[in-house]
Amino acid sequence: MSNLNPKANLQFISANHAAAMAATLAGRANRNARGFGGGIYPITPQTECIEYLSKQDIEKGSVVRVESEHSAMGVCIGMALSGARTFTASSSNGLSYMAENVFAAGFYRLPMVMMAVNRTMGPPWNIWVDHGDTLMLRDSGWIQMYCEDNQEVLDSILFAYRLAETANILLPAMVCQDAFVLSHTMMMTDIPSQEQVDEYLPDLNLPHRVADRAVTVGGLDFPHETEAHRHQHHDAMMRVFDVYKDCQVEFKKVFGREIPDPVVGYKTEDAEVLLVSMGTVASTARAAVDSLRDQGIKAGSVRLRLFRPFPHLLLEKMLASAERIAFIDRNVSPGMGGIMWSEGRVTAPKDALVQNYMIGLGGGDIRPEMLEKVFADLLSREQAGPPQIVEVGA
Amino acid sequence: MKKSFEVRLHGRGGQGGVTCAKILAAVYAHLGHSVQTFGDYASERSGAPVRAYTRVGNEPITNRNKVYEPDEVLVLDDSLLGADTLDGLVDGGALLVNSPLSIEVFDQKYSTSTAPFTTGVIDATAIARKHGIGTRSVVIVNTTIAGAYARIHDVPLEALKQTYTDLGLISNFPAALEAYESVEYRGPVDGAHVEKHMATQVTLPEVEQIIDHVSSSGTGLATGSWSSQKPSYVENLAPCNAWCPAGNDVVGFIGALETSEQAAAEILGQSTPLAAVCGRVCPAPCMEACNRAEYDGAVNIRGLERWIADTIPVAVKKVARVSNAKRIAIIGGGPAGLAAAYEIAKAGHAASIYEGEKELGGVLRTGIPVYRLARPALDQEIENILALGVEAHCDEFLTANRMAEIEAEYDAVIIASGLQKLRGLEVDGAQLAGIEQGIQYLHRVNLPEDGKSPVESAAIQGHVVVLGGGNTAMDCARSALRAGANKVTVAYRRSFDEMPAIKEEIEEAGREGIVFAMLRQPVGFSGTDNLSGVVLAEVDLGEPDDSGRRRPITSTRTAVMDCDAVLLALGQTEDYGLLPEGWELPWGSERRVTAGNRGEILVFGAGDIATGEGTVTHAIGSGRRAAGLALAALSAVDVNDVPLDETHIFQRPDRTTAIPVTDIRLDHFARAQADTEQTIDPMQAVKNFNQVNNGLRSKQELHRCFSCGHCTECDTCLVYCPEGIIRRLTDEGTPYEVDYSYCKGCGICVEECPRSAMEMSS
Repeated sequence: MSNLNPKANLQFISANHAAAMAATLAGRANRNARGFGGGIYPITPQTECIEYLSKQDIEKGSVVRVESEHSAMGVCIGMALSGARTFTASSSNGLSYMAENVFAAGFYRLPMVMMAVNRTMGPPWNIWVDHGDTLMLRDSGWIQMYCEDNQEVLDSILFAYRLAETANILLPAMVCQDAFVLSHTMMMTDIPSQEQVDEYLPDLNLPHRVADRAVTVGGLDFPHETEAHRHQHHDAMMRVFDVYKDCQVEFKKVFGREIPDPVVGYKTEDAEVLLVSMGTVASTARAAVDSLRDQGIKAGSVRLRLFRPFPHLLLEKMLASAERIAFIDRNVSPGMGGIMWSEGRVTAPKDALVQNYMIGLGGGDIRPEMLEKVFADLLSREQAGPPQIVEVGA
Repeated sequence: MKKSFEVRLHGRGGQGGVTCAKILAAVYAHLGHSVQTFGDYASERSGAPVRAYTRVGNEPITNRNKVYEPDEVLVLDDSLLGADTLDGLVDGGALLVNSPLSIEVFDQKYSTSTAPFTTGVIDATAIARKHGIGTRSVVIVNTTIAGAYARIHDVPLEALKQTYTDLGLISNFPAALEAYESVEYRGPVDGAHVEKHMATQVTLPEVEQIIDHVSSSGTGLATGSWSSQKPSYVENLAPCNAWCPAGNDVVGFIGALETSEQAAAEILGQSTPLAAVCGRVCPAPCMEACNRAEYDGAVNIRGLERWIADTIPVAVKKVARVSNAKRIAIIGGGPAGLAAAYEIAKAGHAASIYEGEKELGGVLRTGIPVYRLARPALDQEIENILALGVEAHCDEFLTANRMAEIEAEYDAVIIASGLQKLRGLEVDGAQLAGIEQGIQYLHRVNLPEDGKSPVESAAIQGHVVVLGGGNTAMDCARSALRAGANKVTVAYRRSFDEMPAIKEEIEEAGREGIVFAMLRQPVGFSGTDNLSGVVLAEVDLGEPDDSGRRRPITSTRTAVMDCDAVLLALGQTEDYGLLPEGWELPWGSERRVTAGNRGEILVFGAGDIATGEGTVTHAIGSGRRAAGLALAALSAVDVNDVPLDETHIFQRPDRTTAIPVTDIRLDHFARAQADTEQTIDPMQAVKNFNQVNNGLRSKQELHRCFSCGHCTECDTCLVYCPEGIIRRLTDEGTPYEVDYSYCKGCGICVEECPRSAMEMSS
């Protein structure tokens, strides 16, 4: 446990459980303001999280069990509009059913947090990891972060509240984690104290809350008003990069731990060949990089943690020295290819060979040996080919 | 400890594999290591093969792949053993399997004797079942096998115990400890290599465009291989059957009554010829034990038994004599003797009853008044027994000499003469006129002299005091009230709770106006020639005695209760006067009599003289058993070689195995009040000796029976089976079949069975 604070309050829990604990702590931290709440509806593999949450006793808190994801987000919108700190969780087809209200929460500029467990969209039904579900909501006006381990899930939820509630941001945030690989895997997790969370998360003060005065939300927008609203929304998104840094500094100060950067590099300084990925694939990529480095190949790995807003400049800097770059997507936009590749390829150096691999679709176990083969394929290419779906088997 | 290692668990859905992996991880976390644990999720259905993984290290763990080259493999169900389970297990690693096999047999069966890894075998299922871990239908082995793991891998027991405490599993720790102590294992064989077929390396696909999408393989899976346990239909012991001293198949006759009285009578006739009698006077221990009692009142079993016997005789009609029929004499024509004679006649042998009174019946005729047991019912059942060829020699009280002659004349003898010696009271004034033994008084009530009615024969005046608290006391008191007494008081030295009389009798006596004086010990009688009162001392209750009842301590505080007559109902004891010199009748069972230097002879005791259990139904059971023992002895080559537990000899079932109410799914039963018999108003009843209880109005009460432990073909299993693989059969005897090739062993049918007539077994 060398990397953890000796005073840590370590508990052996799953990432679902960790997320629920973070939401509980954040909810209690708003007890002197307008409290905490959310609408919840279960779906595998998120169920454990809301089960735990609904068992908690939260002062000035109310977790409402509803009949669908659409209503779950409806409850969140209502509570958030009245000034409460708000949380929900969903996954896969639950998110698609919720989608209409997800957009509403974004466009109402409600700084709520949703924990999304990435699960393959059906039918046919598949419960394992694939990022296609949350990427479907990339244009909903939410901040999106993708986590790599259990502790990061817990920390990111606290961090997301701080970021989302910052006065010049006021955007909802989605904290995404890989189904089962994180959601149901148990690891030692450091649970912060309520005092620490109270310190990190000041009372939520939503300027446009409806609690004190009558406010019309969701009325008719004429074209010019929409232009203005979209403009404001986009600007707020683009301010996230700066605010993110401030929130990182504060996080370190209060909890003693680091929140990873929007783009996380591994052995990238002199790397000639790079793998870019999201979520837990990055852990596996690092193992493959180590193996290639042992063979004398200058390999590196980049993890995209922040997907919305898309960190073009940060990614560009990270890819600057690379000659060959593989975008490893755990999703497919049929007729296009990997979504991360399609958005991120413009950040690659002009002369670099950029190849898209879509791997581990539907939750196949991506082993380090498989990524070594991807590296080998990348190194053997004379030029980039069309985006390619790679088979990993079971 | 090794720098880092990986564990892979193979189990079946429902066995708790993921929790087991979590326990191992938690133990290592407790010991200060980095840990990670997760399961494979998808086919969580009961019985499906599932895997779970645990990683342990000294550095933070970042690898999130599944485990392909485990250092340790745990297999929770040995039917999962095969290439998949051993795949990638490293040399020097360890395999631990839950299996009932010994390690020697295991090694032989799975060719592991030269394996390059440690092999451990533990019968975790048996241990977990013994400790009651899981549900009635599904045993959960995870917490047990972790104990065996700890032993093989030198995990300190303290750490294991602390982990169980932390995880809230401490109640399962004793099972883990037993596994820790009993696991068999041996180390790896150096330099040996596992057969290739056991460890197949998976090759990863090449990085290339998928041209044709891999077609998914059809399942074609007979999921029956997933199950570690299977459901089956069983016959469990119902509490009523367990508690009937006569051995009646209560569940059976109530079930058959739905079809017809005839079918029910046939079942009753297997065990008793005296159903009309028991249906009137049995204390019905079956009803006290009835699982319905706690729910909405016991099923009125006694009433149903009477309904059947009053509709149609239960005794078998005709039995052919066997060719080498034995002749057996029975001494005493009471319930034990009649039951023994019936049992003997039913088996095709010859029974002769010797009875001192003019007619058969014993206490049923001389003791029990007609208002409780109408004589036509008794006469009919005795007639049914005699119709099977049973001989009756009445009106002769035997002497010891006559007994010796009979013993010489018959192949065997059963002595069922009851309790003939009456307890008296040796106190001042006991000789006064007006004091009479209750048994003698009942004799007058029940067997009036020629031309007299019971009321004339038993005429009694004024205030009658009955001393005692048993059924004789109740019968005396209620008879006296009917025969002219203007007040009757029952004085008993203990309290109501300790009264041995049947509870309903006491209640009825109370309703009829009988007064009870509890905690009163008679210490003398007053009067000159004629009785004028009884001296009663107050009694204090002390410590419990051997029978568990509080010991009565007679105080010096006395008072005289004026009265005109006293009936003594202080109990009866065995009278061995009819036994020839040197005979000894064993007490407490129906074993053979010893006769001096002849040793054990073919003479058996039955009923109260042998067991003193004191009820009609106990006497029937005892008579059946004595008859069975006599017939077994006579058919044996060596009579000394007849085991007492021969299965065809009636034995009372082991009551501890009866289905408890907690095993009945009460949700499946609507609440309903018990149907009660029609009775005469107590104020009218005391005016004559007419039968008080006139039986049920219908047989509808049968529908309240839970049929504990006995399948009624209610289809609940079929309806609840999630796989739809329980089917109805038309063959007699087997109402359903389970398609085991698709049964995953989920146990839902067993869990849902309303009456506990199914079980899971390995």
